[in-house]
Amino acid sequence: MGSPSPADQVSRRAQALAGHLRGLHTSMEPSLSPSPCLQYSPPELASPPSDFNLSDMRKLMDGHNLQDRDWLFGLMIQSKLFNPRVAGGRVFVSPDYNQSMEQQREMTMKRIHYLLDCGVFQEWLTGRGPEVEMRKFALHEVIGMYDHSLAVKLGVHYFLWGGAIQFFGTKRHHDKWLRDSENYVIKGCFAMTELGHGSNVRGIETVTTYDSKTGEFVINSPCESAQKYWIGGAANHATHTIVFSQLNINGKSEGVHAFIAQIRDTDGNICPNVRVADCGHKIGLNGVDNGRIWFDNVRIPRENLLNSVADVSPDGQYLSAIKDPDQRFAAFLAPLTSGRVTIATSAVYSSKMSLAIAIRYSLTRRAFSITPNQPEVLLLDYPSHQRRLLPLLAKTYAMSFAANYLKMIYVKRTPESNKTIHVVSSAFKAILTWHNMRTLQECREACGGQGLKTENRIGQMKGEYDVQSTFEGDNNVLMQQVSKALLAEYIAVQKRNRPFKGLGLEHMNKSCPVVPSQLTSSTLRSSQFQTDIFCLRERDLLIRFAAEMSQLQAQGLSREYALLQSYQLAEDLGRAFSDRAILQTFLDAEAAVSSGPLKSMLSLLRSMHVLIILEEDASFLRYGYLSPDNAAGIRKEVTILCSELRPHALALVSSFGIPDAFLSPIAFNWIDANSWSSVQPQQGATVPLQI
Amino acid sequence: MAPLGSTRGDTDQVLIDKNLFVRTLVLNRPRQLNALSSQMISKLLELFLAYEEDSNVKLVIMKGNGRAFCSGGDVAAVVHDINRGNWKIGAKFFWEEYILNYVMATYSKPQVSILNGIVMGGGAGASVHGRFRIATENSVFAMPETALGLFPDVGASYFLSRFPGFFGEYVGLTGARLDGAEMLACGLATHFVPSARLSSLEAALHKLDSSDPAIISAVIDEYSLQPYLKDKSTYHRLDIINRCFSRRTIEEILSALEREAVKSADDWISSTIQSLQKASPTSLKISLRSIREGRVQGVGQCLIREYRMVCHVMRGEVSKDFVEGCRAILFDKDKNPKWEPSRLDQLNDSMIDQYFSRVDDEEWEDLKLPARSSYTASALAKL
Repeated sequence: MGSPSPADQVSRRAQALAGHLRGLHTSMEPSLSPSPCLQYSPPELASPPSDFNLSDMRKLMDGHNLQDRDWLFGLMIQSKLFNPRVAGGRVFVSPDYNQSMEQQREMTMKRIHYLLDCGVFQEWLTGRGPEVEMRKFALHEVIGMYDHSLAVKLGVHYFLWGGAIQFFGTKRHHDKWLRDSENYVIKGCFAMTELGHGSNVRGIETVTTYDSKTGEFVINSPCESAQKYWIGGAANHATHTIVFSQLNINGKSEGVHAFIAQIRDTDGNICPNVRVADCGHKIGLNGVDNGRIWFDNVRIPRENLLNSVADVSPDGQYLSAIKDPDQRFAAFLAPLTSGRVTIATSAVYSSKMSLAIAIRYSLTRRAFSITPNQPEVLLLDYPSHQRRLLPLLAKTYAMSFAANYLKMIYVKRTPESNKTIHVVSSAFKAILTWHNMRTLQECREACGGQGLKTENRIGQMKGEYDVQSTFEGDNNVLMQQVSKALLAEYIAVQKRNRPFKGLGLEHMNKSCPVVPSQLTSSTLRSSQFQTDIFCLRERDLLIRFAAEMSQLQAQGLSREYALLQSYQLAEDLGRAFSDRAILQTFLDAEAAVSSGPLKSMLSLLRSMHVLIILEEDASFLRYGYLSPDNAAGIRKEVTILCSELRPHALALVSSFGIPDAFLSPIAFNWIDANSWSSVQPQQGATVPLQI
Repeated sequence: MAPLGSTRGDTDQVLIDKNLFVRTLVLNRPRQLNALSSQMISKLLELFLAYEEDSNVKLVIMKGNGRAFCSGGDVAAVVHDINRGNWKIGAKFFWEEYILNYVMATYSKPQVSILNGIVMGGGAGASVHGRFRIATENSVFAMPETALGLFPDVGASYFLSRFPGFFGEYVGLTGARLDGAEMLACGLATHFVPSARLSSLEAALHKLDSSDPAIISAVIDEYSLQPYLKDKSTYHRLDIINRCFSRRTIEEILSALEREAVKSADDWISSTIQSLQKASPTSLKISLRSIREGRVQGVGQCLIREYRMVCHVMRGEVSKDFVEGCRAILFDKDKNPKWEPSRLDQLNDSMIDQYFSRVDDEEWEDLKLPARSSYTASALAKL
């Protein structure tokens, strides 16, 4: 059989076209008006009014300091320094990421000075108590929604530099440094990481010795791998740094200690015996001047040792209240906890921004008609699009509660709760930041080509937030610490024959929960089932992990080596712990709400959050907590939940309380924002107030 | 002007002129400086809604009879109702007024307001939300509510918060008066037209058969000029205003102003401090919070919040300053209100919170915004 000749093809095509035209001609004859162009219709028009109160939902999500947050949003929206641009008749604020690295760094510093003058950082270092700390968290979250660089630069100064002085220092340090730091008279940085050592802080190579003749410490970078690396603020602005270093006293290494060293004078000149270089352009956070530091016999006064856990007497004797070097080291890492808390919460706000933009866009952008001559279908009316965005929305709600819980236990910390805070902050930091990166990628793709424009924020945020899975503890390392801590708890309980207490493991004291073999929709949506299956997984994985460890150790492997071998179970267990702990924070938040539409909405979101984990995490099938039939049933239930959440999508992102100006043009009238007239020079001096 | 089809009489508080596709609504209570009575508000609402449906109407012009555009809502009537124990009549008044503001803010056809005289309070609400606002050399704008024990309402938390920098906080808290040039500078007015040219401008507008904002703007542009800000204009002090009025609380704003006063002896600073000290402390606190919330909200949400607030103000649970302010300024005219609480430090957060909460009354409900067939995207409430 030969293919038709080109001539045949041409004539057939011509016939077909003629037919089309004839048909078109007759059907179009009555109206010769041009076919209507696409019109932007705001998502509010098509969405039914929400049956829950948006302000109440926002209050629940933000949790605290709402007025302070709004004040700070206003400070940024109203200032030219925050780069307001008009698109589609609205003002949007976000940094100009097209500026050079150096320009972005200068803008970050200018914005800091503006906020400082407005009084935003009042009490950030001189104030004490949970209220001050919660306010600081709230304001820092809002700053991060504007620009991650701005938040990170401030975080380094206030949380790391300032935190180190607060936590490792004693009164003499507090009196000398805190007020000037709060007012940015001193610009601090935090030199812990080295080229050769990141997560393994105990392995750092910087060495400090003591010269009792002059009463000074002498800091040295003995080799290239000992150079301090990624030090935020070091490249351009910082005047002082915390230096983490091995302390060598009388030839004996006493382990890692923290010192204060000046690296620049007040005119910005690098101090003698200090060398500084730039870390260069990065995939994001170019508004932060990350630098490298070498110390060449830098001499600092003896008083600059942050001596809350250990001190050196004027004659050079090492003194420490904490004899155990492990515990001493643990005490040094305490300030990193506050960093992890802020990272976890800012990851949630980043997810909120991207979801608010992508979902608003999906409620106004259409693609393809499913029946001829009918309007094209809204993106979010595609079940597949719902499946991409709505589970992430539900998870973001869950993580919002988790972040609020984390902040709460952090500000109410006691010496006894330190372990819990360490484990929970490690787990939540990893899970929330991974969730954010996944959400950003999905939202970017869900916005199609528009997602690639920097002005639409999401794509840029991928680069800006990627660092979160690495700094203040690599996510994978943190998750290993979580499972290690759980194992230690398990072994302690077994050894001392006492019940589990703390870390939410009390459910292990009860009998093993039984998951029904037939899972109906109402079972799947019940908090009992959801709690049970998460507890079941955590319990089983912890027992399996402990069993595998003891088996490997029985075969003669060291504990450390056995841990390396058991990484698969360790990872599954870390997830299981985190999912169960996050669900608990959701249930607690829900319990505090009185019955009504708000509570029903929370319960719907919780079910979506849990079921999507059951669907996506292979461990439920792998270890047999769910049968294949049940897994299929859950998958189906997820699609039903998607369709139930769909009408509330707009209300759910509006409840995030993000000002319009912090979203992006595609979240609003993207046709106007892209119109020809929008690229023409504006005529006349008069502009309407409509903002 | 040729009035057509209007049942015109001395009692008509809103006059209507019809010119082809243009309707001109004239606020007509000159002896009360065109203060909005509930009758006027009902009439305006009815007309606006009808014109929106009427394809023969392309443009609505609003102006005032006499030396005022509109001096505000008729709060004297409201205070009489409150004094007779009828705050709910007042609530109905504000409900209708705010609905009118919302309809204007979301109106599908252009509204041109000619602000040739006094524009205060409710008068701002009846004009600023529309598409075009024309100031003249006779314009005097102010939101004087904090001196009356009230707060800038009629959607002012939406528009004041959108002035450049923190000029809106300054205008809303101090009740400062702005002239036409200042109104144009801060965005309150979209055009400045000398009053001598108004009649020819109106004649030109009457000929329009289009709702296209660009066409209307071009017509007004022909009569507009760029006025100069006076040397003494407060708008030149935007730097100080931003420094002080950006502070987090009223107390911090006051101490920032006092710090400025120490730096330089300046009448403007001391008179600004004075007007804050003369205003109702409660009014100042709820006004600042309202403007700050308004900055991140849509106009609809602003009006819903303001309605809650005004109901609490009328009920006087925390403070009866509204009644006292009207007594001192409008009735007894002794200009010496006795505010209660009398000092800022007597007002704690929970007292302020109350103004923003739902009203504890079975019959009371939140302001219900009408569904609008054609939102302007910019006016949409999000939260």
